[in-house]
Amino acid sequence: MIQRDTAPALTPLFEPNLLPYQQFTLDNGVTVAYIHDPSQEVFKIDAVFEAGIYYQPRPLVASTAINMLNEGTTRHTAEEIADLFDFYGAYTDFNCGFNKSELSLISLTKYAAQTIGMLAELLLDSIVPENELDIFLTNKRQEFLVNREKTSYMARKKFSEVFFGSSHPYSNIVRDSDFLNVTPEEVRDFYRRHINARNCRIMICGNVNREVLQTVSGQFGQLPVPPSPVTDPTRPFSPEQTGRYHVTKSNAMQTSIRIGKSGVRLLEEDYAGYMLLNTILGGYFGSRLMSNIREEKGYTYGINSFNVSMPQGSYWCIAADVNNEYADSTVEETFKEIERLKQQAVGNEEMNLVKNFLHGELLRELDGVFSQSDALKHKLNYSTDNRIYIDLIHRIKRCTADELLRLANKYWNTEEMYIVTAGK
Amino acid sequence: MIQFTRTILDNGLTVICNNDKSTPFVSVNILYKVGSRNEQPEKTGFAHLFEHLMFGGSQNIPDYDRHVQAAGGDSNAYTTNDLTNYYITIPAANIETALWLESDRMAALAFSQHSLDVQRQVVIEEFKQRYLNNPYGDLWLKLRPLAYKVHPYRWATIGISPEHIERARLEDVEAFFHRYYAPDNAIIAISGNIEENRALELVIKWFGDIPPSHASPVIIPQEPVQTEERRLVSEGNAVPADAIYKVFHMGCRNSDNFYACDIISDILSDGQSARLYVNLIKNSRLFSGIDAYITGDIDPGLFIFSGKLSEGADIHQAEAAIDSEIEKFIRNAITERELQKVINKTEARISYSEINYQNKACNLAFFEFLGDINLIHSECSRYNNISVREIKKTAEEIFRRENSSTLYYLKQS
Repeated sequence: MIQRDTAPALTPLFEPNLLPYQQFTLDNGVTVAYIHDPSQEVFKIDAVFEAGIYYQPRPLVASTAINMLNEGTTRHTAEEIADLFDFYGAYTDFNCGFNKSELSLISLTKYAAQTIGMLAELLLDSIVPENELDIFLTNKRQEFLVNREKTSYMARKKFSEVFFGSSHPYSNIVRDSDFLNVTPEEVRDFYRRHINARNCRIMICGNVNREVLQTVSGQFGQLPVPPSPVTDPTRPFSPEQTGRYHVTKSNAMQTSIRIGKSGVRLLEEDYAGYMLLNTILGGYFGSRLMSNIREEKGYTYGINSFNVSMPQGSYWCIAADVNNEYADSTVEETFKEIERLKQQAVGNEEMNLVKNFLHGELLRELDGVFSQSDALKHKLNYSTDNRIYIDLIHRIKRCTADELLRLANKYWNTEEMYIVTAGK
Repeated sequence: MIQFTRTILDNGLTVICNNDKSTPFVSVNILYKVGSRNEQPEKTGFAHLFEHLMFGGSQNIPDYDRHVQAAGGDSNAYTTNDLTNYYITIPAANIETALWLESDRMAALAFSQHSLDVQRQVVIEEFKQRYLNNPYGDLWLKLRPLAYKVHPYRWATIGISPEHIERARLEDVEAFFHRYYAPDNAIIAISGNIEENRALELVIKWFGDIPPSHASPVIIPQEPVQTEERRLVSEGNAVPADAIYKVFHMGCRNSDNFYACDIISDILSDGQSARLYVNLIKNSRLFSGIDAYITGDIDPGLFIFSGKLSEGADIHQAEAAIDSEIEKFIRNAITERELQKVINKTEARISYSEINYQNKACNLAFFEFLGDINLIHSECSRYNNISVREIKKTAEEIFRRENSSTLYYLKQS
């Protein structure tokens, strides 16, 4: 008979096996990094530009410019562009972030010349046709009107507004009228200024054979170099008073809660320890917040906390959608859990458990060639690479309960926190 | 082509193993052949509630999650109309932890009143978060009972209403467990960095002594043929734009009809060069979004047209535009390029799905559940073998008025 009452012995977790990557620079300054795995039939390419919402003159301009890239070039209409990608079974994804915008393509390697060629054409020769722009904005406005009905959206936007300040581009406050005010000229202007060789980085992974590299070099080598280096002013956050904010939606079935403040950036000394601390509080299924508020009390389907590192700063946030009746209790219990981490040392068992979980999470972030490429793409933004994972894993392992107490007291001063609720 | 081994243990458990050396992890995927279609009409939402309870502790292990996390693993589960799927991703060296956990809860779940009380509340909050506190969230709750009158697909996995979830009793939990959670009603698929033989050995070690339930085969009441057009108007919804859903009954997942319908939906709406996008969003601008897709259920499913109307568009005109696209599909020729596009897309999609070992484990279990695991190899050819004539014939057969249900989901006026 098998012994079911004893857990199988655990094998200590391993160090990640980092796949080697190659890097080279094109004549126009575009840098290309790639991880080649000949066993794949597929490749993925990400073109990263300094073209996020941080640089937009007015709301919607950056995301519109990015999403209009496949709506028409000097040589092809929107329909022809879509038809080419569809025909070869390729997928594109355009994403406009805080500072960076990413244009991604996944395709079978045997069709690399065609699909990469079209991706490059979008970046080089986009024209932003007015009819397409009008359709895009009309449909985006509809999406916005739907989102605006969601308490989770309301709470998220309110948090950004009070944390970054309503005038800071990161808060990205969009109003209904903004959709009518975007002009083709300002979208084209943003495109010309930001989709070029300046700060452009290409990341490729999967089956990156010679043809893929040649196509990439030939095509992306044509990205124009802007005449003079543009300097962007640093815009400091202009936050509101900390404390409690409420957005009313009278017919809401649930209340969305956001509690947060500034966090820790990737390269800061405390980053690894803070990851561990945050995970204990709300970063995994067995976290203190989940155990208390979901598994013990049943107030919510989920509550979690997370830390976001950005080039210009960082934020840390707790998020949950809860039963209206228990919104106040949830806030109260959340602060109890924060307080507990500030006053009582985390016990050994929990400490080891979370260290292992987090170690596993970091290994999963590096699991396979496509994940390693995603991780590397992000780390290159900070002028580092995936070797940082090894350092993080070691630091997390070494972190002590005293260290966590110190971090909780350093970073979780409740007077510095914003408490946003959206609901009844 | 995916290589795997398939073994059925004496207790009826089907074991599928695939060795993938590109990862240091393994994925252990257990599919139980039970979903919301197995529920009673007065106790809906139960299969999904039960999935939550499976994390509440078993005979020898009160704290399932803690062990997964301590081993550096991650786990989750989902419930559909047809099945409940549990999966753990764990460093390969710790696979026995996963098998220990999964086998203990298959052998003997702990039935706890406290766990039931809490998870009922959690699921009711999930009900609100996804279906009630979310614009258009309750649309399917209205559409399903319009399209199905007899088959349990007439309710959603979450259940008919939160009251059904409140009604769940501990004796229901026990009965459900004994009926459905047994090796002869489950499939375990393992993919990752472990030799197939070794994986099988370990599954036998942990699961081999769990007794089968020998339960009688499940009989699901099947939907009679629809003979009259059905329509429903839902008014006064707190949404910014009207929506229209038009659905037609189609064949089951493991039928040629499924592949023909999937091709039809691809030609109509897969990608921004497809007909519905070009004609109804770009050209006529009647819709801000429109889609044609199929459910892919084990029992005969639905072919769905779903669209959100542009501001100011008239819903009758919008419906007429969908009808006209259907009409054109039946009457006019399908171009060579459209067909080649579908073939290429299918090939690419299958390639993408084989990149990740977690997908592989999940797909292997699914095709086994479908009735023949070797179907995983014939997916591509089953698509390619559908002739243009068959595509047309299928469209003509299913896109009939008396086979349709139409929902107008209107905003507050």
